[in-house]
Order: sequence, then structure tokens, then C-alpha cells
Amino acid sequence: MLADWQFIGIFLALSPIFPAAPVIANWLLGPRKPNPLKQQTYECGVETVGDTWIQFKVQYYIYALVFVVFDVEAVFLFPIAAAYDQLGLFAAFEVVVFVLILAVGLGYAWSRGALEWT
Amino acid sequence: MIPLSWYLIVSAALFCIGLFGVFARRNAVAILMAIELMLNAVNINLLAFWRYRTPTEPIGLAWSIFVLALAAAEAAVGLALVISIYRERDTVIAEELDTLKY
Amino acid sequence: MNPQSLLPSVPEFLAILPEISLVILIVAVLAYDRILKPAERRRVGLLAAWGSIVILLITVGLWVLFREPEPNRSLVESLMWGGMIRNDLITLIFRVMFLVAVAIVSLISLDVPALQRGEYFALLLSATIGFSLMAAGSDMIMLFLAIETASISLYILTGFLTDDRRSTEAGIKYFVYGAFASAIMLYGLSLVYGITAQTNIYVIASLVAQSGAIPPEINGLFLLATVMIVAGFGFKISAVPFHFWTPDAYEGAPAPVTAFVSTASKAAGFAVTIRVFAAGALGAPNFDSEWWAMLVAITIVTMTLGNILAIFQSNIKRMLAYSSIAQAGYTLIGLVALTPDGSGAAMFYLLMYVFTNVAAFGVVVLVSRETGSDDMQDFYGLSRRAPYLALAMLFALLSLGGIPPTAGFIGKFFIFKAAVDAGLWWLALIGVLNAFIGLYYYLSVVKYMYLYRSDDEEERIPVSRAASVALALSVLGIIYLGIAAGPAFEWTRQAGAAFFPFSG
Repeated sequence: MLADWQFIGIFLALSPIFPAAPVIANWLLGPRKPNPLKQQTYECGVETVGDTWIQFKVQYYIYALVFVVFDVEAVFLFPIAAAYDQLGLFAAFEVVVFVLILAVGLGYAWSRGALEWT
Repeated sequence: MIPLSWYLIVSAALFCIGLFGVFARRNAVAILMAIELMLNAVNINLLAFWRYRTPTEPIGLAWSIFVLALAAAEAAVGLALVISIYRERDTVIAEELDTLKY
Repeated sequence: MNPQSLLPSVPEFLAILPEISLVILIVAVLAYDRILKPAERRRVGLLAAWGSIVILLITVGLWVLFREPEPNRSLVESLMWGGMIRNDLITLIFRVMFLVAVAIVSLISLDVPALQRGEYFALLLSATIGFSLMAAGSDMIMLFLAIETASISLYILTGFLTDDRRSTEAGIKYFVYGAFASAIMLYGLSLVYGITAQTNIYVIASLVAQSGAIPPEINGLFLLATVMIVAGFGFKISAVPFHFWTPDAYEGAPAPVTAFVSTASKAAGFAVTIRVFAAGALGAPNFDSEWWAMLVAITIVTMTLGNILAIFQSNIKRMLAYSSIAQAGYTLIGLVALTPDGSGAAMFYLLMYVFTNVAAFGVVVLVSRETGSDDMQDFYGLSRRAPYLALAMLFALLSLGGIPPTAGFIGKFFIFKAAVDAGLWWLALIGVLNAFIGLYYYLSVVKYMYLYRSDDEEERIPVSRAASVALALSVLGIIYLGIAAGPAFEWTRQAGAAFFPFSG
């Protein structure tokens, strides 16, 4: 039992060395001549101009909401799909009703203009 | 097999972290996250009880799916309310919402 | 499993017919909203109101014509959909309350411009589905789902006016407290499931009643679960100490929503609370149970604190919020009496409270739309500005205070009588003393309306036809239940027996 875990122990002990070694080697061996250009943030996106707390377009949010609805729908459909062979036609019919109710919601959101990107 | 109590301890710990978060955090979004933690604790409970107490009937399993759906719905509604608050007063700090008081 | 058994039988179908009709009505409301021109927006509210009246007639008609739900069914026969719901007289009476409330609330919100939207009425109706299933639910999963369906709709409704500071703030406060309370309740429910390996509250109750079913070493855990569930239910019925959301949510929410939250939501909370505790799912319903002592303490604190804080309010909605906390306290007396009569009296009280509070908030809606605020001063000289509104408010306040010709008196009388019959005369005494405190602040509003003068007495307050129909209906309800309480009380008393399937 314990023998199975010893590999994990060895792995845990050794694994920090690999990321740490290059950083330490760099610090020991590399020359240090800083200038403002070198001190800039490297490959982390463009520096922001102005306040970062800007208003996102509300469409992002509505898209996310519609996504959440259908994301959760999948959670409900999965068990039915897994047990599909044991369920009869009636269950399939119920699933159709379930999806239809959600589709009505989507249709409503669409007609309210939630899917327009303007 | 891992004893049931281990799962319950994890879930109780998670629940308490959530509880602490609700009281300690001032940001409304962080409070929402703390509440989600509490719901996840419930889910761990339900799944552990399902596995150990009623493995033949998927009661806890089905229940936990409903809890997931609830968590999603709550997150959506909560964020919508937070956004409408933010639009109006540029803050999501719970203590600054003090228009209504005694 | 035999696939054929998935098909519902006729009684099972009839048992959820009101909910199915409500779903159809929601879809109809949303579709109608899309085809209406902006100028005709008020019709969507008319559809919601008429639709809920039709569903009310269907529900009552099923009972009158087909005896559905059959009152004499045994417990096993009345459990439908695999024990998920129980279709009995309790369910029927609560459904009537919710449908009356949603119809009247739709009528009074018809002419509020900010609320003339399909979503608003769809959310009112989906909350009603949640309430209705809360009253019917007899399984922890069903109860949890119903409570959340109702709560989430109400969170959105409370914060519905997105450009109103107070509404959004009320919405988020209600939401945070509500989500927090329901997470705690859910944890408690999951513990009960773990301890008993069951989810049906009646199965759990018969299991808990057997000695040794719960090993003594996990009694503490069971008690913890009980406390958590009490916290969740206490939130729904806004009992002290779980009432912090109440004044803020009631003040900030659009007034028709407040009317809905304070009546239908509270009644639904009581439906769940009485059903779970009276069935004995958290310990036998007798005076030795730990939960009984807990509830008695909550009852006393709720009545007293609600009444005392209500005295100091200068905002009419806040005053009515604290008053509704106090009223929840009176209703709890009916539960802790632990007799069928007590539960029946609690149901009667809730029934009359629906009419009373909807009338009170209906007047507040109309007055505050005219004056633009909801300070107590708006009511100065109301009898001269709008005599009929003042009269409706007078009846509502007399009923809240419990003065004889109104339903409130009968309701309080039955509650206190049930408590005395159960041997809890001291609790009834505390209730009566509290009713006197309550009279003080209810009657001071009457004083403002009839004796005080205000500068703008010349300005009449316009009352639309829909709103006057709604107010007239609720005032008629108050008077009818006040002078001819017999049939309604007999009905609720008969239903009260269904709360206690294991004793008698």
C-alpha cells in the first residue's frame, strides 16, 4: 500500500527542482544591466490606458446568461442520455417538452434583441 | 474505502469557509462566491450520502444536479443585480449600500 | 422499471393542473408581450390577471365539481408523482390564496408604467408556481426546488426597477440574505437525507418516530440539521431573528411586489413550515421536541420585536414590513399549538392576511404613485383627497389590528382560542398584549387619514378601474371573512387535520 505512494512522494520532492533550476541558474550566471525598456512588463498584454473599471457592453453579459441556461440544460440532458435505453418514448417526449420550454425562452430573448450585437 | 466521515469533514470545512466568506467579505461578488462555496459543500454532502447511504437509488445524484442548476440560476440573478447596482453607483461594496436603513 | 409507470394517472395529472396552466399562461404572457404595440402594454397585465382568475376558477371548480383533491383520501393515496407532492385540502387552500394574491397584485400593477412588461407578469406567475409547489411539496427535493423557484423570481421582482436606487439595493439585499439562508437550509436538508436515507417528509416522519431509528450519537447532528432548516424557513416567513431583509426589501421593492412578497410568499413559507413540522419530519410534533421550544421562542420574539419596531417607523412601507413580521408571529402561534385546529386557524389567518395586506399595499401603491414617496405624511388628510381609498385602507388597518367587523378579528380569535385549547394560555396572553401594541400604530395611520389635514387636499388621487376592482375585491374579502367566517373556517379546520397524518 505505502509502496504505491512512494513514487508520488519522490515526484513531489523532485518536481520543484525543474522550474526552480533555470530561474536560479539565470540569476547566478546572467549579467544584470537594467534599463527602462528591459524593466517593462514582458508579454502580458498591452498596458491599459485610463481606468480599467470600464463598462463592458451589456451584450457580453446577456450572451453569458443565455450560455448559462444552455450549459445547465446539458447537465440535465446527460443523465437522460445515459439511461436512454431503459426509458421509454414518454421520457423522450418529456425531454422534447423540456427543450421546447427553454427554446421559448431563447426565442423570447431573441425577440427582445438580446442576440443583436449593437 | 475512504470512510464517509472524511467527505463530511471536507464538506463541513467548505461550508464554514463559505460562511466565513459571507460575513467577512465586503465585495458583493465575493459574497456571491462564498455562497457558491456553501452550495458546493451541500453537493459534496449529497453525493457522499448517495454513495454510502442509498447507492442503489440515485436520489442524492439527482438532487445534486438540481443544486447545480440552482447555483447557476443564483449566479446569473446575483450578477445581474450586482451589475445594475454598479451602473448606478460605481460600487459593489456591501456596506456602501445604505440608502435603506432604520 | 416498467416504462409505462412513467405515464401519469388522471388524479396525478389533475394534481398539478394549476401549475401546468400557470406555465402555459407564462408562455402566453411572454408571447403576447412581444406582439403588442408599446401603447397597449397594459393589456399584458390584463391577460395575466384574467389568466390567473381563470386558473383560480379551474382549481376551485375541480374541487367543487369533481371533489379533487378528495378530502378523505388516506395519506398514501394523496401522495402523487412518486411522493413528490401531496394533493390535499391544504394544497387547495393555499393555491386559492396564491392565485387570489397574484390576480389582485396583477390588477394593481396594471397601471404602473415601469411594471408594464411581460417579464414582470411572467415572473409573478413563475413565483406563483413556486408557491403552489411549496404548498403541495411533500418531498425535500420538491420543497427545495419550489422554494428556489419562488425565491429567485422574487429576487428579480424586488430589483425590477433597475434605474431606481432603492429597488436595486433592496433586490441585492434580499438576494444575498435569501441565497445565504437557502444555502444553510439546503445543508440542513442534505444532513437529514444523510441521516435517514430518505427524502419524503412523511417517510422520514414515520422513520423518526420509531425509537432507535436515529442512533443517539447522531442526535446532535439531527438537531443541527433542524436548526439549519428552521433558519431557512424562518427566512421565508420573516421570523425574528431571520428578518433582517424584510424592512429593506419591503421598502425598496416596487409596492405591488411588496404586496405579493408580504402575502403570498409568507403564506407559502408557512405552508412548508407547518407541513414539515406538523408531520414530524424533524421530531415528533409534541411539546417535548427541541424544535418546539425553538419555535415558541421565535414566536414570542417575532411578535414582540415586530410590533415594537413598527411603532417607530415614519415610512408606511417600513411600518407595514414590521407589522408583517408581527403578523408572522401570530400565525406561528397556530403552528406551535400543534393541533389540527391550530394549524387550521393559522391557515385561516393567512387567508385573511392575503386580502388584508393586498388591500393595504394597493392603497399605498396608488397614493405613492401620486405623491412620489411613501412617507407617512402622504396619508395626512387622505379621507378628503380620496374617500374610497381611505375607506379601503381603514378596513385593511382594522383587519390588521384585529377589530371586530373585519376578518382580522376572527383570525386572531381562532388563533388565540387554538392556543388556549392546547394549554398554551400564556402564549395566547402574550399574543393579545401584542395585538394591543399593534393597535396603537395601526390606529395612528387611521388618525392621519381622517383627522389630520394636509396642504394638497384639493388634489384628488386618480384610481384606475382595474385598481378599484382589485381593492373592492380585497375589501369584500375582508368583510366577508369577518362576518361570515363559518364556511371558510370549517374548510381550513378540515384541512388542518391533514397536517397531522400520524396522530388520529
